[in-house]
Amino acid sequence: MADGQVRFDGVWKKFRRGERHDSLRDLIPALGRSLVSRPAAAALGRQEFWALRDVSFEVRPGEALGIIGPNGAGKSTILKILIRLLRPTCGASEVRGRVGSLIEIGGSLHPDLTGRENIFLQGSVMGMRRAEIARKFDEIVEFSELADFIDTPVKRYSSGMNARLGFSVAAHLEADVLIIDEVLAVGDAVFQRRAFDRMKEMVGRGVPAVVVSHQLERIASLCNDAILLAKGQIAFQGPPPECIAAYARYQSAVPAPDEGPGGLRLDSIALASPGPVESGGRAEVVIAGVAPAEREGLRQVVGVRVRSLQTGEILFATGTKSHDVALPEGPFELRVELQMNVPPGVYAVESTALGWRREREGRGGPATLVHVSGGPGFVGQVQMNCAMRAAARAAAGSGR
Amino acid sequence: MTDPPPLPAAPPQAPPRPAALPALRDDLREMVAELIQYRELLASLTRRDLLLRYKQTIMGFGWSILMPVTYMVIFSLIFTRVVKLDTGVPYPIYAYTGLLPWNFFASSLRFAVSSLTSNSTLVTKVYFPREILPFSVILVSLVDFAVGAIVLAGLMAWYGVGLHASLLLLPVVVLVQVLFTAGVTLLLAMGNLFYRDVKYLIEIVITLWMFATSVVYPVQRIGGQLGPLLALNPMTPIIDAYRAVVLHGQPPAAGPFLGAAAFSAALLAVSWLAFHRAEFRFAESI
Repeated sequence: MADGQVRFDGVWKKFRRGERHDSLRDLIPALGRSLVSRPAAAALGRQEFWALRDVSFEVRPGEALGIIGPNGAGKSTILKILIRLLRPTCGASEVRGRVGSLIEIGGSLHPDLTGRENIFLQGSVMGMRRAEIARKFDEIVEFSELADFIDTPVKRYSSGMNARLGFSVAAHLEADVLIIDEVLAVGDAVFQRRAFDRMKEMVGRGVPAVVVSHQLERIASLCNDAILLAKGQIAFQGPPPECIAAYARYQSAVPAPDEGPGGLRLDSIALASPGPVESGGRAEVVIAGVAPAEREGLRQVVGVRVRSLQTGEILFATGTKSHDVALPEGPFELRVELQMNVPPGVYAVESTALGWRREREGRGGPATLVHVSGGPGFVGQVQMNCAMRAAARAAAGSGR
Repeated sequence: MTDPPPLPAAPPQAPPRPAALPALRDDLREMVAELIQYRELLASLTRRDLLLRYKQTIMGFGWSILMPVTYMVIFSLIFTRVVKLDTGVPYPIYAYTGLLPWNFFASSLRFAVSSLTSNSTLVTKVYFPREILPFSVILVSLVDFAVGAIVLAGLMAWYGVGLHASLLLLPVVVLVQVLFTAGVTLLLAMGNLFYRDVKYLIEIVITLWMFATSVVYPVQRIGGQLGPLLALNPMTPIIDAYRAVVLHGQPPAAGPFLGAAAFSAALLAVSWLAFHRAEFRFAESI
């Protein structure tokens, strides 16, 4: 089974802003040309831009490649080229074996058909034989947990049910290559867990996979190689943890250390003791910089923000002003202690130089990463440092 | 963290080399191979559309009979009461043998023109040869055609038209019509993907085309300066061929019918190739 393979060789993809053809006058020659030859690639025309530039990678059996990067970096374009929805402008994309693509599938179910009919339709859209679908039908229904609604038209489904059905069909395709895009964000937490386990199981069988997700933790636990894509180019390639770190640096990218408003300069930020912090434990970061002399009407503040790399969301932000900390003139070292009451994952601690003259100005400073490891298991957004005790008690009604 | 952020390097100045031009033979092989590979999808999509016909409609397949029958009644009134038209056979059956295949052609065009755009979620998310969508529309219309043929059989019994050995040629006539229809629908579906005007334009074209074809009267009688122009319409020999094999017990008129057959095959080959070569742009152009 595991003889699928993916090869992306120097792929460039050109897109056009705005409408494709402005008039019939453009269309007819274009169609004529497409009949005779492929459109000439090379140069960029007016309103055109490269969505992918010279992207190459290879995924062999037993490997799973994660692709991360900011929105618009070209991640989905890569997947669409892999599943042949788009054709590269230059270069080659080669996928050997049957492709199973898990790409926001729920939306393509037909609302007027029942769940059962949709399973058969969707299965054959994905390239399954009718007999194969029939054989796996019960398994698919069981996985989707929609047994009671299988003969209900899909238009009566909730969007979660819709997505569950779509995923369940895709997850039972016997694929030689897996292409996964953000479907991890489907259904409720319990289903997400099962969907993720299913994917992990498929990848574990040695099926080569390409995964795009903003949930970096999942990339880290699913993939053994990762690419950071920025502006259509590979900015970093390496093991997922390093790639995630590169992404964090990229996200809080600063031009070389520079003076903030009023001359405040932040040079570096680092963990006081490297290594992961247990969920609920304390992390200490040290920010080094140079503060200018106090002046009338000028206030200097060092801001600290904690960002979740899974969601990109800022979870916490504060500053020296809120803590009544004054910065000494000249070179300084600021120690910041944070209690990481967050679920296990990777977090970026970012510094900012803020100043008030007439209005507030800010400048992003350096950032560092905190790896939070699992303490006692929990589900949710906040580590509440739960303590539990159990003791025997006299049972009611005993001894009667 | 003192590492500089990994900003992407500038793109190379020299433009990258264009992808190699695949040979015509490779394209043709791919087209056929994919159609075979995806035949079950063609069946599934056809089944889906037939299923949908039954959902939330009371008449179901009744609708496929109603259209040609209504036209037959209207034109029978006109051409037997208002103006007498001599067609050699009872007029209603003359009209119906024209209207039934015409309806097959017209409804294929009408639904196929938006087959890509109305399935845009499929087109933009999953790869499959896109010609499957217009092809499945033709298959659905073919089922309607078969259902409508029941009425034709009834009319033949009523008017005492016997069964001729020439009926054995019927599949050939249907095949030629399918080839021609496929050629036209591929162009229309592709055109409508880029320009939605096609969908509106085609309604007018279908109406004009019907009266330029021997559907409800022998179009050859128009003659005059329009005559040579009308003789170029491949649908007329096809519809005449239906009448020949069903009503007159004769093979289709060799010259015009073979001409139409050759033209249909050539049209399909060219439009399918054009469709196949434009296909990779569908997902980004829809």
